[in-house]
Amino acid sequence: MSQEHNEKGGAPAIVLIVIGVVLMFGGMILSDQTKEAAFIKALAEQGIPLDIGKTVATIGVFMILFPVIKSFFTNPLQEAIGQRNTDLERTFSEAESLRGQMTEMKADYERRLVETEAQAREQIQAQIREAQDLRKTLMAEATQQADSMKKRAQEEIEAERDRALTGIRLQVANLTLQATERILGENMDTDRNRRLIDEFLDQIEVPAS
Amino acid sequence: MKAVFETAPLLLAAAGKEGEKGHHGPSFVGLFVYVALVLAVLFALMAYAKPGMSQRVFSGRKLLGLPILGSFEQIYLFIEQMCVGTIGSHGRKYIPMIMTFWMVIFVGNLVALFFPTSPTADLSFNLGIALISIGYVQWEGMRANGVFGHLKHFAGPKLPGALILISAIIFVIELISELMKNVSLSLRLFGNIDGGHQAAVAMNELGKHIIDLGGFELSIPFGAFLLPIKLLTCVVQAMIFSLLTCVYLSLVTHHDDHGDDHGHAPAPAH
Amino acid sequence: MTGNVLGLGIGIAAFGVAIGLGLIGYSAMQGMARQPEAIGKLQTAMLIALAFVELVFLLVVFIVPGSVR
Repeated sequence: MSQEHNEKGGAPAIVLIVIGVVLMFGGMILSDQTKEAAFIKALAEQGIPLDIGKTVATIGVFMILFPVIKSFFTNPLQEAIGQRNTDLERTFSEAESLRGQMTEMKADYERRLVETEAQAREQIQAQIREAQDLRKTLMAEATQQADSMKKRAQEEIEAERDRALTGIRLQVANLTLQATERILGENMDTDRNRRLIDEFLDQIEVPAS
Repeated sequence: MKAVFETAPLLLAAAGKEGEKGHHGPSFVGLFVYVALVLAVLFALMAYAKPGMSQRVFSGRKLLGLPILGSFEQIYLFIEQMCVGTIGSHGRKYIPMIMTFWMVIFVGNLVALFFPTSPTADLSFNLGIALISIGYVQWEGMRANGVFGHLKHFAGPKLPGALILISAIIFVIELISELMKNVSLSLRLFGNIDGGHQAAVAMNELGKHIIDLGGFELSIPFGAFLLPIKLLTCVVQAMIFSLLTCVYLSLVTHHDDHGDDHGHAPAPAH
Repeated sequence: MTGNVLGLGIGIAAFGVAIGLGLIGYSAMQGMARQPEAIGKLQTAMLIALAFVELVFLLVVFIVPGSVR
């Protein structure tokens, strides 16, 4: 029955409203006309109080009501809820991206921390190695210096000893010569004598320790 | 004749006392006074709630401690869940219509709690809603399947050769059942609301002049004790009406939804 | 006399429908208790079933008195 009205359901709201108004007035007239109709009376006797006019008018009311409520309330509500949902989603995604950024930054920071630590360790180790090298070279130098000093001292000692020995030898030879001169009464300080004494001294000489 | 009034106690217990007028429901003008009352309440609530929509959180204005916009939002979400759950993903476009049905019937039922009659307690009004609902279902079916496809839908499954006679019978039966959907939708709403009304009146009859205090007779409105269950009925009937509309819509627009389902998610086999 | 018989008939109808409603509620509640996650679906199906059973009684109330007359 309502099919032909709903055929125009896709039509703009104004058509629906016009149909609704027409149906309402039609229902009013129909209600008056069918008040005494046989089938209405039969239904009423059965306990079913039906009034076709009211039904038609109701259809008209709803024809008006649907577009009105849709544009007045349901669509704004739908939009508001949708917008709020997108808002929430956007906030959530923002928070999510922020959290991602933070995680990234934290990872970066940790990575850098590890890097710095490694670098510091490396530096420390390098320093230690350098110090050890330095120590080794210093030690070597010192040892070398000490060795050279020792050698020089030994050389000096030997030279001194040689000089002393030579001096003593000279002294002894001189003394011997003087003694012999005095004994012999003549100057024996000749080259030949001296050589003789040297030879003698060489023979009696103890090894210089 | 008299027997009818005596024997339909649920509906007619009070008819004898109130006279023929109560039995026939309100007159044409009376009905539309009540319809205007229902719509006035509805639009007042909507206008009251509307400014809150621009806020980020729907706290809105409150009426008697009840956040109106929040309630509308809950209704909307409920209807959306019902539409999407019953019809499928394309059920979202029916939400305004189903929500209008829900709100009008619910407010009508609430009016029936406090007033002698109400739009939803009138069979003619209910038949009007049911006709709109079923008519819209037919219209949607024709839009989804084409006029011929929709009519073929009535004939049931395709039967070979001589069994076309059975198809014809099925067609007629389906047509009748389609008409009966109107009757069942309207009669259910009418029976529940008007029946609850009559039951309350009958129980009030029981408590009339029950206590006699020396010439001063006290009445106890027993019918008031029915209010909680009548409130439940208000919600349930509004819900059943919109739910059944959803179910009919889903039956009629099932085919493309079916195709979509298979196209998108072929995997889940339970 | 007819009135009393009709009243009895409607009473019987109410009896049957009450049993039917009770069965629906019983099984729906059992199902909900077993599968609390399916409460939404069960409620929907239960309400539809309740509506249809209830309709039987309403039809009896509206149609029987007229047809027996």
